[in-house]
Amino acid sequence: MLKDLGTPAKGLVRATGMPREIRRRRTVLVLVILACFTLIVLDARRSAGSPVEPLREAAAGVFGPLESTASSARQPVDDLRDRFAEMDRLQAENEKLKKDNEDLTRQLTTSDYARNRAQELDNLLKVAPAYTMTPARVIGIGGAQSFSHTVTIDAGTADGVRTDMTVLNGTGLVGRVVRTTQGTATVLLIGDRNSTVGGRLNSTMALGFVSGRGDVAGTLDYKLVDPKARPKVGDRIVTWGSSGNAPYVPGVPIGVVTSVSPNEGALGSTATIKPYVDPTRIDTVGVVTGPPARPPRPQITGKGN
Amino acid sequence: MIALRIGLATLFLIVAVTVQTSVLTNIAVAGVTCDLTLIVVIALALSRGPEWGAIAGFAGGLLLDVVPPADHTAGRWALSLAIAGYVAGLIRREASSGPVGPLGVALTVVLGTAISFFLFSATGSLLHDPSVDWSEFGVRLGIAAGYDVVGAIVVIPLVMWIMGRVKPARERRRVLP
Repeated sequence: MLKDLGTPAKGLVRATGMPREIRRRRTVLVLVILACFTLIVLDARRSAGSPVEPLREAAAGVFGPLESTASSARQPVDDLRDRFAEMDRLQAENEKLKKDNEDLTRQLTTSDYARNRAQELDNLLKVAPAYTMTPARVIGIGGAQSFSHTVTIDAGTADGVRTDMTVLNGTGLVGRVVRTTQGTATVLLIGDRNSTVGGRLNSTMALGFVSGRGDVAGTLDYKLVDPKARPKVGDRIVTWGSSGNAPYVPGVPIGVVTSVSPNEGALGSTATIKPYVDPTRIDTVGVVTGPPARPPRPQITGKGN
Repeated sequence: MIALRIGLATLFLIVAVTVQTSVLTNIAVAGVTCDLTLIVVIALALSRGPEWGAIAGFAGGLLLDVVPPADHTAGRWALSLAIAGYVAGLIRREASSGPVGPLGVALTVVLGTAISFFLFSATGSLLHDPSVDWSEFGVRLGIAAGYDVVGAIVVIPLVMWIMGRVKPARERRRVLP
C-alpha cells in the first residue's frame, strides 16, 4: 500500500495540498453562477410579476436618497466638465440664448401645430393644454454599457407619479415612467430601443411612429403609417397622444427631421429625427400627473344662423 | 476582523454604485461611464482572491441590476461582475509571489471590463433584449476599458491599501518571510 502511494507522491501532494482551496473556490463560483441564472430566469418572466420587484423596491428605498445626495455633488463635477470644454466664458450667454431659443421653439412648434388644427376646423381644441405637472430632478443615469436609456427621478408614488405617465421638460418629450417606488421613478427615455412613441408631422398632420435607435445622442427613427407620405427635412414632430393620456399626452414636441431615406425592400421611408431633448443633459423634468388644468374640449353652443 | 472586512467591502460597493449612477454619468465619455463598481470588485479580488472576487462581483452586480435607473433583467450584471471578479482573483493567485504590479492591475482591469461587458451583452442577446446593439459593442468597450483604467489608478490602490490594513494576522505572518 505504502509503495503504491510512494510513486505518485508529487501528484498526490498537489492533489492533497491544492484541492481543498480549489474545490472551495470552484464551489463558490458555481453557486454564484447558479444564483445569477436563477435571478435571470425569475426576472425574465416579467408578465407573471417578478419576485425581484420587492428587491428593486428595497434598493430604490435605500439608494434613492443616496443618489439624491450624491447628485448634489454634481455642481462641482459639472463645473469641471464645463471648464474642460472651455465654455466658462460663454456660459451665461449660452444659458440666455438657450432659454430664448427654448421659448421660441416652443412657440413655433405649438403655433404651427395649432394652425394646422385650425385648418381642420378643430381650433376649439387647444393643443398642448396646460397639464398638471409634478417637477422632478434627475438623480441617476444609466451608462451606455448597459445599453438602456433610463434615468431615475426623485419623485415617486408619494408625489402622485404612476407608471405610464409622460415625462417632459421645457424643450420637449423626455420619455415615460416605467417603474415607480415610494420616492423614485424610473423613466424610459425616447432614445431607448424599447421605446416607441406615436408622432405626428406638424406640416402635413401625417401619423407615424418614433422609435429610439439606442445611440448616445438619442437619435430617433420615424416611420409614417401612410407609405406614400414623405417627411421633409426640417419637419417638426409632436406626439399624437394615447387614449386616456397614458403613456403619452398629445401635442408635446419630440424632434425635428434631419434626413430621410427610403426603406429598403419596402414601401415608404424612414426619417431620422434629432430630438429636442438632449438625453445627456436632462436635469429638471416634469411628470404629467393630471388632466389639463382646464377641459381640452369645451362645449360648443351652436347659435345657428 | 472578518465582519469588519465584509462591512468595508459592502461600504465600498454601496458607495461605488451610488457614485457610478449619479455622479460619474455626468462626466461620461460618449455616454460610457467609468465602471466604478467593477473597479472596486477587481480591487477586492486582487486583495482577497477569487472567492471574494466572485461574491463581491455578485453583490455589486446585483446592486447595479436593481438600483433605480436599471430596467434590464436582474442578474445580468451580477453574473458578469461575478465572473470578472473571479478571473481577477485568479490573476492575483497566479502572481502570488509578490503583489501585482501596476501594469498587471491595468491589464486585469481591461480584461475585467471586456469580460463583464461581453457577458452583459451576450446575456442580453440571449434574452432577446432589443436594446443590445453589437455594432456599438467595440467602440463602447474601448472607451470603457480606457476610462476604467483611469478610474482604477485612483481607486484600486486606495481599496487595496485599506483592505491590506485589515488583513488577518495569519496572512500578515505568511507575507513577512
